[in-house]
Amino acid sequence: MARLERASHGPSAHLSLGTDTLHAHLPGPGLPCGVLNEILAAAYADTAAACGFLFALMAAASSMRPGPAVFVAHRRCLTDLGAPYGHGLAQLGIDPDRLLLVEARSDKDALWAIEEALRSPAHPAMVGGWMEDGLDLTTSRRLNLAAAPQATPLALLRARPASGTTAAATRWRIASAPAACDPFGAFAHPRWRAALERCRNGRTGQWLIEWDHVAHRFRLAESVADRTPVARRAG
Amino acid sequence: MLTAPGKGGARITALNRAAQRAGLGSGDLLSNARSKVLDLQVRDADPAADAAALHRLALWCLRYTPVVALWDELSGGDGLFLDITGCAHLFGGEEGLLTDLDRRLRAFGLAPRLAVADTAGAAWGMGHHGGRNIAIVAPGEEEQALCSLPLAALRLDAEASLLMRRLGLRRIGEVVRQPRAPFAARFPDGLLRRLDQALGRVPEPLVPVIEPPVYHAHAAFAEPILSQEHVLAAATRLLEDIVSRMECDAAGARLLRLVLFKVTSASLRHDAGMISLDLGLATPSREAAHIAQLIGLRLHRLASELETDFGFEAAAIHVLVAEPLTERQDRLAIASAGRSHATSTSPKELARLIDRLQHRLGRGAVRQLRPQQSHIPERAVRARPAKVESERRRPPSPRASPTSPPIASARGGRDERQRQTPAPVPAAAPHLVLEARIAHDPLPMPEEPWGEGKAARPLLLLEHPEPAEVLAVVPDGPPRQFRWRGVLHQVGEAQGPERIAPEWWRRTTDRARDYFMVEDTDGRRFWLYRAGLYGEDAAAPQWYVHGVFA
Repeated sequence: MARLERASHGPSAHLSLGTDTLHAHLPGPGLPCGVLNEILAAAYADTAAACGFLFALMAAASSMRPGPAVFVAHRRCLTDLGAPYGHGLAQLGIDPDRLLLVEARSDKDALWAIEEALRSPAHPAMVGGWMEDGLDLTTSRRLNLAAAPQATPLALLRARPASGTTAAATRWRIASAPAACDPFGAFAHPRWRAALERCRNGRTGQWLIEWDHVAHRFRLAESVADRTPVARRAG
Repeated sequence: MLTAPGKGGARITALNRAAQRAGLGSGDLLSNARSKVLDLQVRDADPAADAAALHRLALWCLRYTPVVALWDELSGGDGLFLDITGCAHLFGGEEGLLTDLDRRLRAFGLAPRLAVADTAGAAWGMGHHGGRNIAIVAPGEEEQALCSLPLAALRLDAEASLLMRRLGLRRIGEVVRQPRAPFAARFPDGLLRRLDQALGRVPEPLVPVIEPPVYHAHAAFAEPILSQEHVLAAATRLLEDIVSRMECDAAGARLLRLVLFKVTSASLRHDAGMISLDLGLATPSREAAHIAQLIGLRLHRLASELETDFGFEAAAIHVLVAEPLTERQDRLAIASAGRSHATSTSPKELARLIDRLQHRLGRGAVRQLRPQQSHIPERAVRARPAKVESERRRPPSPRASPTSPPIASARGGRDERQRQTPAPVPAAAPHLVLEARIAHDPLPMPEEPWGEGKAARPLLLLEHPEPAEVLAVVPDGPPRQFRWRGVLHQVGEAQGPERIAPEWWRRTTDRARDYFMVEDTDGRRFWLYRAGLYGEDAAAPQWYVHGVFA
């Protein structure tokens, strides 16, 4: 049955995150594609971290799938914390040349744009969204339906989640964590405390993950030597 | 009666029939006129308002033809030329068009004099001196029609007409019969040029009120249409007409304009009773269905403006910019995409997606980032409206980071499938290139590869740097704690400074910035900078937050 399902979805039904520990909690070898994945920030101040997690997913998707990466954002979100910055994106492993930034004036427009991108025969590598809320059971089901035919990876960052029930397959809650430093004391890889709060056909979990922007994969931060006091400068 | 200041006092510039009957004429002194007629109603002439009204009328006349030109100074500046080549049959021939135009203009309270001829000059002459309200000169009969008209019908300047009157030449026919060479030697070239223009021997270019379209389709409806669907259906029919012509020329539309003409009530309002929609496309297209879909999206956005009392009675589609578009083998591409599951994006589909998004969300809502060669962070990236171009204009971009192979290869049997994905992944993606339009920046920067030689850059950059209160241990050192947006952050780790000097060639008042990447104790990373250096500037340095890291 599973094989049948996978065959119908094709080879890209899952977006590999690069670590088996995470995959063990997810229904397949990676983030499910063709369904909605929700991302929340643990606190308002962690929004940048959550946004980073979303872009890390987009970088991973772009490295494995052809096509443009479409990022749809509500205008208010962009003016609040700033717009994605090209050189910063490049340092996170995204090719900004393949990124299409869409600015919507309302959540309704944002949802329309996301749906349009998902249904487009342009086959985006991934569709990411950053919106205030505007997501409920009906709209999230619509997104699931739109994403399913092409198994497009879809992740949505909700800035102010109000309603609890959505049809999302996974829900991640992201918090910032002190970054790892390289031997010279420079910040090497961003780290996030990622909690998988909800996972259809899987288990919840909590990890301290690190994004490797060169290999386009996550890895667990515990497996890496923690920041050594030697490398720390007296701030 | 209208007057304007002239030689020797106020002079009459325009007068109505009652005043004419009283023996007054244009150009008379106002004081003389007052002595002849006692109950004169006099107003000041307002040439600017006249010109504006004429311009509005010209826009209104676009319902008949896309080429409408205002008369220049020498032609009187009080009328319009309509190039009705190929348009007259839509209104039942030239006669039908003139009757329709006459009826409508009279409804506005105007007293039109209309004439149709092969040349603008002949039509002008017939209109002014033909003695009829509606005159049609059959093709090739200009000379015959003009011969009996006075010389003034040639639109001569004052000097030339005075000279002619002194020579006793009054009718055009008398001039036409004169030997040409001595005439040309003796008179200013204006006279013969006007004559030649009227007879179609030399062209008389018209300056249209709006740029004439490359392709043009026009429809007048028997019944006014009201609903969005009907407008869309009409537009689709017009598009199909245009598309077939573009196919012959192997061209595609880049910029289109849909013009809808309202059923106008008694007077011309400021909008000239029409709605004009401009549609830009991300890539040249001549697919009626696609363009109609975009029009539908735009109409949806304009729903409130489309509400009219009586609906629309005519519509036109102009293709303002067309670009060469050769036929591609679309079907083959789809077939190959269907066979292997690794679907690749066709630039065409991407362009359509961009088009659709742009037309619903507004121009400029769909953007792409381009790197610019600048050290100033906010200037190092420019967001421009996205546009798709074929591979040939792809800039060579030796990318620093994201070219590593997919990591799935090292991991057992289930990753077999992932290996089937096309190997050069970035190459399979169509390239998005941006409009090479010159920006407002007087010193445009050349592009450079992403992330080249850059220290850490934030994921999100604030539109405007926001001031922060910073406590540092040493004046030049990194911050110890800072308050931004009312929240106090204790700094755990700080890296820097990275000094970015202002671009001196830009006459800015910017100060040198020292950037620090700062991590607070909760692990949130910020990009702060200190504007100004201690001891160098008169003003105290100021700290700003410029962005946040992931």
